[in-house]
Amino acid sequence: MLQSFFQWMQGLPFSAWMLEETWASPIIQCAHLVALVAFAGAVLVVDMRLLGRGLIKTPLNQLAREMDRWMIWSFVALFVTGAPQVLSTALKQYYSPFFWWKMQIVIIGLLFNFTIRRRVAFAEEGSLGHWPKVVGFLSIGMWTGVSVYARLIGLLS
Amino acid sequence: MRSLFEWVDALPSSIALRESLNAYPTMLTIHVVSMCLFAGLIAYWDMRLVGLTLRKVPVSNIPTRLFPWALTGYGINLITGALLLYSQPMRYYGNFYFWAKMVLMLIAGINMFWFHYATYKSVQAWDQGREIPMNARLAGVVSLVLWAAVVVTGRMMAYSGLMPQWWNNLNIGA
Repeated sequence: MLQSFFQWMQGLPFSAWMLEETWASPIIQCAHLVALVAFAGAVLVVDMRLLGRGLIKTPLNQLAREMDRWMIWSFVALFVTGAPQVLSTALKQYYSPFFWWKMQIVIIGLLFNFTIRRRVAFAEEGSLGHWPKVVGFLSIGMWTGVSVYARLIGLLS
Repeated sequence: MRSLFEWVDALPSSIALRESLNAYPTMLTIHVVSMCLFAGLIAYWDMRLVGLTLRKVPVSNIPTRLFPWALTGYGINLITGALLLYSQPMRYYGNFYFWAKMVLMLIAGINMFWFHYATYKSVQAWDQGREIPMNARLAGVVSLVLWAAVVVTGRMMAYSGLMPQWWNNLNIGA
């Protein structure tokens, strides 16, 4: 069922246009990379603070609230620029194990962010013991994993 | 310059790195991840200077607390970038985007030093305030644009068929 869905995506006129238009893929990929940098920065500023590093003189919840919108909007940009790439190379993605590992971590990362990470980062500081460090470490690990697998789709698939 | 690239290209260690199945994906992946660490943190420093975010954070806090991490990312990025170049020098020699990236990085570096040794000296006067001097804002905008262009040209290096016609006419890579 999933395979036929990916075949359908690959067969869309938009996918054909993406592949035929010389500059479409490069522009989308460049925008995706710029969005990745914005997303990584927003995640790291808060995660380093959770680990007790970085901007430690600024209250954690203040920092987390400020970075939240940057994280969300840069993720939206990542999705908007990532979807056309998946559409145009749907079957390559389908047969790549890295694509599926990446998507699994993206989903877990999003759930983790909007539940546990947000709760810990927005909480009163000092009330959660070592949890902020654990959460910061897991968040950095997950999003690093996403970047690694994303890069490997193009290189090893 | 070309003979230097050709000399490196023929070195046994360069050939070994080029022929290794795992070296290129490993180096490029580390290059991208370290770019996220460096460029991600620098982007928010620049946006603080421009006044787009972190406005309640004293300006001087960011270089003190975030730059060691950003510089670690930059160091890893430089090493992996140098190894990528070392492994395929002739691939990059004729690549317009490679040279454009190098020039942009140089200009971004000059902008950074100029800001550090000129504008940043008076940081105590505007550290806590929301009003950032025009010179600092300008340095932030220039830095944002330049590092974004470095990221873009870095990605474009993979598209050797999309180089400007005037560059192709120079026949540098031939």
